[in-house]
Amino acid sequence: MAAETSHETREILAIRRADGESRTLAASLPRLVLEARRIAANVIHGLHGRRRAGAGESFWQYRRFVSGEPSQNVDWRRSARDDHLYVREQEWEAAHTVWLWPDRSPSMVFASKGARDSKLERGLIVTFALAELLVSGGERVGIPGLMNPTASRNVIDKMAQAMLHDDAVRASLPPSFVPSALAEIVVLSDFWSPMSEIRTMLAGLSSSGAHGTLIQVVDPAEETFPYAGRVEFVEPEGFGVITAGRAESWASDYVTRVALHRDEIRSETNKLDWLFSTHTTSRSAAELLLFLHSGMMVAKGTARGSTVKAGRSA
Amino acid sequence: MIAGLPLTFAQPLLLLGLLSLPVLWWLLRVMPPRPRRIEFPPTRLLFDIKPKEETPSRTPWWLTALRLAAAALVILAAAGPIWNPQTAVGGSNAPLVILLDDGWSAAASWDTRIKAADELIANAENDRRGVALVPLSEPARDVTLMPAGTARVALRQIAPKPYSIDRVDTLGALDRFLKTTGDAEITWLSDGVDTGRGAEFVENLGKTIGDRKLTVFEGGAAPAQALVAAENAAAKMTVKVLRTTGGAAAGVVRAIDAKGSPIGEARYAFGMQDRESEAAFDLPVELRNDISRLEISGERSAGAVQLLDKRWRRRAVGVVTGATSDTAQPLLASTFYLTRALSPFADVRLGDRGAAQQVIAQFLDQRLPMIVLADVGTLSPEIRERLNAWIDQGGVLVRFAGPRLAQADDDLVPVKLRRGGRILGGSLTWEKPQHLASFAADGPFAGLAVPKDITVNRQVLAEPDAVLATKTWASLEDGTPLVTGEHRGRGIVSLFHVGADSRWSDLPMSGSFVEMLRRLVDMSGYTSKPGAGVASEATNVETVAPLRTLDGFGAFGPPPSTAKPMPADYRDRGTSEHPPGFYGPADGPIAVNTLASADRIAPLDTSSLRAQRASYTNAEPRDLRGILLSSSLVLFLIDAVVVAMLGAGLAALWRRRTATAAVLLALILSAASIAPSPTRAQGNDEFAIKSVSQTRLAYVVTGNADVDSIVKAGMTGLTLFLAQRTALEAGDPVGVDPARDELAFFPLIYWPVVPGAPKPPQDAINRIDAYMKQGGTVLFDTRDAVEAPPGENGASQTPGMRTLREILSSLDVPELEPVPREHVLTKTFYLLRDFPGRFNSGQTWVETLPREDDDDAASRPARGGDGVSPIIITSNDLAGAWAHRPDGQPMLPLTPGEPRQREFAFRSGVNIVMYTLTGNYKADQVHAPALIERLGQ
Repeated sequence: MAAETSHETREILAIRRADGESRTLAASLPRLVLEARRIAANVIHGLHGRRRAGAGESFWQYRRFVSGEPSQNVDWRRSARDDHLYVREQEWEAAHTVWLWPDRSPSMVFASKGARDSKLERGLIVTFALAELLVSGGERVGIPGLMNPTASRNVIDKMAQAMLHDDAVRASLPPSFVPSALAEIVVLSDFWSPMSEIRTMLAGLSSSGAHGTLIQVVDPAEETFPYAGRVEFVEPEGFGVITAGRAESWASDYVTRVALHRDEIRSETNKLDWLFSTHTTSRSAAELLLFLHSGMMVAKGTARGSTVKAGRSA
Repeated sequence: MIAGLPLTFAQPLLLLGLLSLPVLWWLLRVMPPRPRRIEFPPTRLLFDIKPKEETPSRTPWWLTALRLAAAALVILAAAGPIWNPQTAVGGSNAPLVILLDDGWSAAASWDTRIKAADELIANAENDRRGVALVPLSEPARDVTLMPAGTARVALRQIAPKPYSIDRVDTLGALDRFLKTTGDAEITWLSDGVDTGRGAEFVENLGKTIGDRKLTVFEGGAAPAQALVAAENAAAKMTVKVLRTTGGAAAGVVRAIDAKGSPIGEARYAFGMQDRESEAAFDLPVELRNDISRLEISGERSAGAVQLLDKRWRRRAVGVVTGATSDTAQPLLASTFYLTRALSPFADVRLGDRGAAQQVIAQFLDQRLPMIVLADVGTLSPEIRERLNAWIDQGGVLVRFAGPRLAQADDDLVPVKLRRGGRILGGSLTWEKPQHLASFAADGPFAGLAVPKDITVNRQVLAEPDAVLATKTWASLEDGTPLVTGEHRGRGIVSLFHVGADSRWSDLPMSGSFVEMLRRLVDMSGYTSKPGAGVASEATNVETVAPLRTLDGFGAFGPPPSTAKPMPADYRDRGTSEHPPGFYGPADGPIAVNTLASADRIAPLDTSSLRAQRASYTNAEPRDLRGILLSSSLVLFLIDAVVVAMLGAGLAALWRRRTATAAVLLALILSAASIAPSPTRAQGNDEFAIKSVSQTRLAYVVTGNADVDSIVKAGMTGLTLFLAQRTALEAGDPVGVDPARDELAFFPLIYWPVVPGAPKPPQDAINRIDAYMKQGGTVLFDTRDAVEAPPGENGASQTPGMRTLREILSSLDVPELEPVPREHVLTKTFYLLRDFPGRFNSGQTWVETLPREDDDDAASRPARGGDGVSPIIITSNDLAGAWAHRPDGQPMLPLTPGEPRQREFAFRSGVNIVMYTLTGNYKADQVHAPALIERLGQ
């Protein structure tokens, strides 16, 4: 119980810190405007110019009136200039839903001696910053199972409030839900769950054809395994204990095992055409945000098949 | 016993358990320490890694050593170690001879010795051996063999003797006993102190014993200490503390009066190698005269007691001279020789102020026991009357001849004098200067060496009559008396027929003069109460009976039957016939001490004896199990702490260590800063030299860094200005702390008043007061004229003024007034009207000049009091105006800032400095014409 409480306290602290830091981070990046190529016509209107005529607010083109159209479509001002009737067409604008999943499980609280932030803090900072950027770019942002998609200006506050009042068990991976086919999913987690769980999650999320990005947030100690002597390793979520007699001799095996784990995840994401990258908390949060930013901006068509690495590659 | 250590084990077999330690070592090395517990999120990945060989990291060797030490302590404790086991001499059936040192030097640790002897007797009883007990103080007693039970009773009856024993004398009896007995085993319980013939005894003992078995007990008991040579010197009473061993030690000597109540205590300390130390009682002479017994606190022996009688008392001697202008040529003054001769053993009170008659009356009022009249002529009848009464009550009057005495005629001389003196060796005389021939055998000077180099050029002569010879105490070669004296009532009248200076004879310059005066002082009563005895009783009585004597432990008791009356002039150490104690009448007893003042004690060297050594085990056998078990418990506790810390990680241990080190360092640093810095004390001389080698301006360091830096710059600026404009090239200004620094070196001290600053401590106030009284000047500057609220008394309502008033409240400040126009302060160097500083609205206050009523006072251009005003108060912030930055630019702006204000501020400073240095010199009328001319009047 005490451990639970302390974990909650730490989470609250992390949320508070991330709240402030993410705003500064978000303010430092240009507006995130997603490319609209794959957005279907029937999605909810937003602010994205789709480079074709449609419902929207900004002027796109004048075209000849086609008979059979409602006469209220005629732009009389333009039509008065010559003998034809014109219809003013707006550029088609549409909003995009982005589902963000910051992992808030106890394992994310881990921070080794050298790290600036715990993994949880880093995940929340990037989540909040990304949400802020997306909302200011006109997108709708939600957290599966916690917050419905919203385009509210104070999205960070809303997210923070939602997290603070969340009394559900903190799961490592997002709950199984069916996003719309054109939604974007960003999962920030340490992905230390067994491969089978990750596979199940990916299958569920991608079933509708949604695109997504997996970011593995790791602590430097989890990369390098800087332990020596007789050490008892405890899984913070209660999945077991293992004692290493001479921990220093485990390091090379561990590094190999981690690389294998990542390769497995990467092969899964490649199959689904999702992005997968790793981020070490010893690097700056802006780096990760920049990566996510560009990853959403870049035409997926060209980037497809390759994975962009952010931070320290595994 | 194990290899010289007094250590045995109750169950030595258990020590074999120590052999198990190597096994334990191996076990401890193999057993792994508790693992560190680390939360590690990717632990599930670790499950997939195949476990390596699980060789644990090893326990640190020092931890293992700690555990082994704890285990070893437990094993040792189980074996039952005992410190100081019972000593045993034995193994044969020969009778046991116990030689027992029983002088004063054995008394301090007497119980230990008796206990050791008791054990020896008990052992002999077990072995059914006879015992001969030989106290080494009793040479007359025969050595007899007795059963152990009787010996034990005899042992109880032996008490330490209060005097130094002569061990050698007993050897005869021992020799006789050994010859008759044949085989014997000898044990000597030595006290380790050689009071004289120790080496001889050791040598003869070796010869007497031959090849019989000898055991010498020495060491292990507290070494003896002794007091000798108490001396009531001019300023304090000193006594020497003796001991035989080395090592640093300290203690207390107590002074006790005749009634047994303590008077004072004095500390003494031995250095590592010292055998002799000194304790000094810094008490008033009246109290010191009451001391009748000195003893080392906690040392129960007669040697640690020093008894004092009236010989140790300092008498006050009044010296009156008839000459008037004696002090002009001190080496010709009779008082000079008398003072020099008397001061080693008496307190001289000089009556050189006032007429001789008054001084004598004054001395009589003070009830001095002895008065010396150096060439005092006629005395008024009433003074004569009083002097006679005083002599009857026991006063000692010593007169010296001289021109006045030769003309006078009174009865305060022991013999009838011829009018006029006799001059020897002059141009109109036949006789040559005479030498001192002899001291009368029954006079007070009896026994003194007769100096051959004393010549007498001039003397007063006595009328020859029948009793002259009996009254003569010292005579010249031609039989004429040099010193005469007689007892009158209980007192003495004595006359030196020469002067107390070097004009008539060179007696006052000789060592004999000192001795003669000492004898006379010894005869004088030591108390000023009428009726208290004059020492003449003692000289009248041939022998004195013992009154109270010391036992070996230094306690007073009735004299033993063996104590005999002693000659009144007995000055030696105590013996068995004359044990130390008080002799003679109860109101003026004579003290005999265990040790004479020249006696010293030495350690007894027994190394030449072929003997077995043993030590007084002055402690009970001690069971060491408790100590060992508790220390092993402590070790286990340390082990637990260390293991806990290792569990928390070596990193944490290291962090904690650095934290501890930081805390320790901080503590040490703070302690160092709190402790009075020794450099300050050393620096005092340096400070004084620096201060007096050059005239320097001084300022008080307030502790406010801003103010101090401005004032320092200001004083430097003024010093520079003085050097440019005047002849005064002063040194760098000095910041002083009135509570610590000597102020007398500085003519002027600038005191910036910081509003709200705490009042200086009373000590500092006193020093400032003294400084001002000695002619120093303090310039108080409240520096806040600009803050004065408007109104009549505004200037005295500023916070600075209130603080200043607080400071001055406990100073003796003269009446003050604003500087008047004609005050010398306005004329000392520049002609000034006022004294501006950074502000010009403030008033400057000095000591009020005395009002002059005469008419020409008004016309004098400059007036000064008799001295320099000890205090100047201003609020204009003078130092602020003087202060310059190193680049020569002024530090602070001026208010209101007229162009010449800074110049006038400097001129004010120059005038104040010149005023303190030259005083009222400019007020002298000599300067009046020049001043009037310059003033254009």
